[in-house]
Amino acid sequence: MAVTEPQTADTDSTEAVLRASDIEKTYGSRVPFTRQIPVLSGADLTIHPGEIVGIVGANGAGKSTLMKILVGVLDADAGTVERSGSIGWCPQEPLLYDRLTVTETFRLFGSGYDMTSEEIAAARDRLADRLDFEQYLDYRVDQLSGGNRQKVNLAIAVMHDPDVLLLDEPYTGFDWETYQQFWAFARELADDGTAIAMISHLIEERERLDRVYELHDGTVQDVTEEGTDGTDTTREGDDA
Amino acid sequence: MHRIREGVRLNLQAFVRTPLNLVLAIVLPLVVIEGWGQAMAGLPSMPTVEAIPLDLGRMLGAVFGVAIIAGLLGLVQMIHARSADRRLIQAGFPARTLLATRLLMLTVVAVAVAALNFGVLHVLIDPEAPLVAFAALALAGIVYAFVGALVGAIVPRLFEGSLVVVFLAMMDAFLSGDSPLAADVPDFVEFFPLYHPKAALESAALEGTIATGEFAFVAGYLVVLLALVTTVFTLTMQTSGRWAA
Repeated sequence: MAVTEPQTADTDSTEAVLRASDIEKTYGSRVPFTRQIPVLSGADLTIHPGEIVGIVGANGAGKSTLMKILVGVLDADAGTVERSGSIGWCPQEPLLYDRLTVTETFRLFGSGYDMTSEEIAAARDRLADRLDFEQYLDYRVDQLSGGNRQKVNLAIAVMHDPDVLLLDEPYTGFDWETYQQFWAFARELADDGTAIAMISHLIEERERLDRVYELHDGTVQDVTEEGTDGTDTTREGDDA
Repeated sequence: MHRIREGVRLNLQAFVRTPLNLVLAIVLPLVVIEGWGQAMAGLPSMPTVEAIPLDLGRMLGAVFGVAIIAGLLGLVQMIHARSADRRLIQAGFPARTLLATRLLMLTVVAVAVAALNFGVLHVLIDPEAPLVAFAALALAGIVYAFVGALVGAIVPRLFEGSLVVVFLAMMDAFLSGDSPLAADVPDFVEFFPLYHPKAALESAALEGTIATGEFAFVAGYLVVLLALVTTVFTLTMQTSGRWAA
């Protein structure tokens, strides 16, 4: 699979910060007589600065697979992904080091993002205040509740002010107030120019999304104008 | 350099915050060293070896204790951190730097575990050349920490990986070096991870000599292991695998 950054080409392409074309992915195994599981078969998707894009689809449709390919942590079998700018990724399950404190987690990932100590501290304080986990900065990750762990998971994804933010059900475990705060925060980021793509399962979220892509039979359709038919209405996640 | 320093420090902090690690590192040496010594005390002496089976058993216990703890810690560190490692690498942390921080941390821990085991051994058998004996034991620990890391990178499951490390360490400790349990062993045993560290330990503890050939072999062994771990870790952290399924 080709990965290009930054992209060139036509006007639309210049505006897009992330563009995936003809993405194909089949999960297989080298073990004989095991099943091949085709997931994506020519998926296309474009994300522009300042918009919040929803990716919906039934359980097992391939949403998380597509997102991992967009992030760059999983290779597609075919197709291209063009990225411009930095990426922030919030996986569905918090992929963090359990024995580190929240502050140490910021330090480690901040050094990964190549941020200075001052930048890391500023981002930590700003996000802890914004997402309301200031009192847990000295807690170890494995001592946090599910909701607070998810807040840290999200904060780590945005601490370096990425140009593109890819979120895989980032609100799992949030209470209603935090859920509302999350959407206000996402809108602020989008208004500041961040492009956001988010896997979503909730019908009521459609009103908050600028565009909606639906994954079905391995391909992606823009269903922004089509209402809610065919989408899963549960908050149960999947890892396909 | 900043990333390595930060990584090693945070890795060590995460390690000492796992109480089971500390309990294993402190309790196991006492149990294993004296346990092996007493278990082998009743065996007949070997005609070609002057040392009594009790002391050989204690040395076997020390080597086994260091190997099993360091090996399992290497394994656990790699497996438990696997998913977070991938995210950290996606965030821009270089995979080789991350591996370097983990291996440095494991080296520090292996030396500390060897020091505890050596302390117990020193009380029990009074080695002829204590510093050299300690160096040999520390090398045994480092070798097995890297073996554990390698197994953890190849076999990403704790149960299966633990079986591999435990059985390898047991077979290795039994067959390597002078042992009343295995007087006549096949040639390929020379390439087992503990063969040369154990030979260096016996030579230092019983005869007071520095077995330079054995130490050189262990150094080469470590270089090969390092290359293998780096290759496997880098490959498994690449994006084309099944891990994200």
